[in-house]
Amino acid sequence: MKTLWRAMLLLVLAAVPAAGMAQWLNYPTPGIPRLSSGAPDLKAAVPRTPDGKPDFSGMWFANVPSRDYCRTGDCIQEERMAREQVNLGSKLQGGLPYTDWSKEQMKVRRANGGREDPHTYCMPPNFPRAWTLPQYMRIVQTPGMMVVLHEFNAAYREIYLDGRPLPENPNPTWNGYSTGHWEGDTLVIETNGIRDDMWLDLQGSPITESARVTERLKRLNFGIMQIEISVNDPKAYTKPWSVTIEMAVQVDTQMLEEICMDNEKDTKLYSK
Amino acid sequence: MRIIKTKNHLSVVSALAGLCLALVPAAWAHHSQSEYDLRSRAELEGAVTKVEWKSPHAWIYVDVTNDKSEKVNWSFELPSPNTLMRRGWTRDSLKPGDHIKVSFAPARNHPAIGIASSIKDGSGKALFTGVTPIYEPEAESRGAR
Repeated sequence: MKTLWRAMLLLVLAAVPAAGMAQWLNYPTPGIPRLSSGAPDLKAAVPRTPDGKPDFSGMWFANVPSRDYCRTGDCIQEERMAREQVNLGSKLQGGLPYTDWSKEQMKVRRANGGREDPHTYCMPPNFPRAWTLPQYMRIVQTPGMMVVLHEFNAAYREIYLDGRPLPENPNPTWNGYSTGHWEGDTLVIETNGIRDDMWLDLQGSPITESARVTERLKRLNFGIMQIEISVNDPKAYTKPWSVTIEMAVQVDTQMLEEICMDNEKDTKLYSK
Repeated sequence: MRIIKTKNHLSVVSALAGLCLALVPAAWAHHSQSEYDLRSRAELEGAVTKVEWKSPHAWIYVDVTNDKSEKVNWSFELPSPNTLMRRGWTRDSLKPGDHIKVSFAPARNHPAIGIASSIKDGSGKALFTGVTPIYEPEAESRGAR
């Protein structure tokens, strides 16, 4: 009996450091397709809800691979950052079709070195910009509503899937008012009611109260979601435009709150 | 290439001027980083005096001895704790008293402040801080001109 207790004690002691190493951050996501190696099967079929619709539920981040960056013998990993985080129209020939009003706005925004960027001032992660920000998101999908949780400032966005129309005189907000409907396997999200002074990217591309935004979400497989973002904003752009971004599913991790006002110091550094 | 001399020893600075797509230090997590001279890089070493493990960016404070044998307390900005944790850091990875070497880009308008691109501990082991590819808005936003 003594030997058994000793063996059990040894087992417990052996387990302590292992538990310490096993970060909760990396807790395996249950119920996802995996390869025999245990790695997530990113090319597996699109998950579906009981009613047969594509299920977008899960954590997402811009589909940007991380790379090693080596200089003078040292290698460190490159931060993952979507190109569209800087310029949402980076893949459009000629860039976004700014109106003269927009060009003036951007001159001011850029002359100030981006210090007036609402994101710098810890304001909410406004969509569609929020898709490209360097924090993780979690989509929670139900038959009547999609909720997008965002790590930055522990924010949320609601998208109504219950057939209601967009409001006719919406109260302007950071994310606007969003409704969604299905076109086959594509979830089409329409948004109005966006505030008049929003930024779409780090370089200060504007979006205003006159905007109507359409996001077409398509899950290509387990690993990838494609989002076509279409903006019709006659105040800020001379014509409607669309860009397509890709999001990569994030597994074996979980949301970590990032409350920006907790210790924001950069705004003080902009001034002498 | 250019050399920027600071008042502290071990300051070696390189530049990546002229590149449309540059790799520069740090995490562009919530600000444009125009407050830093991102095309410069310097190295300093010293003892950690404080770690602020908070959003939106972790900060570490390091006592560095300058050429006049004076101690200067430098402040270094790091990525968010979230980013660091996902790359294997914990809030205990650096502690007051640890001797480290920091590569960083200096602040434009403030002395003894920088944004870190890499940190090595006393044994020379590198800890991730991240480098961010900076896409030059000037080169891309033709429509805004």
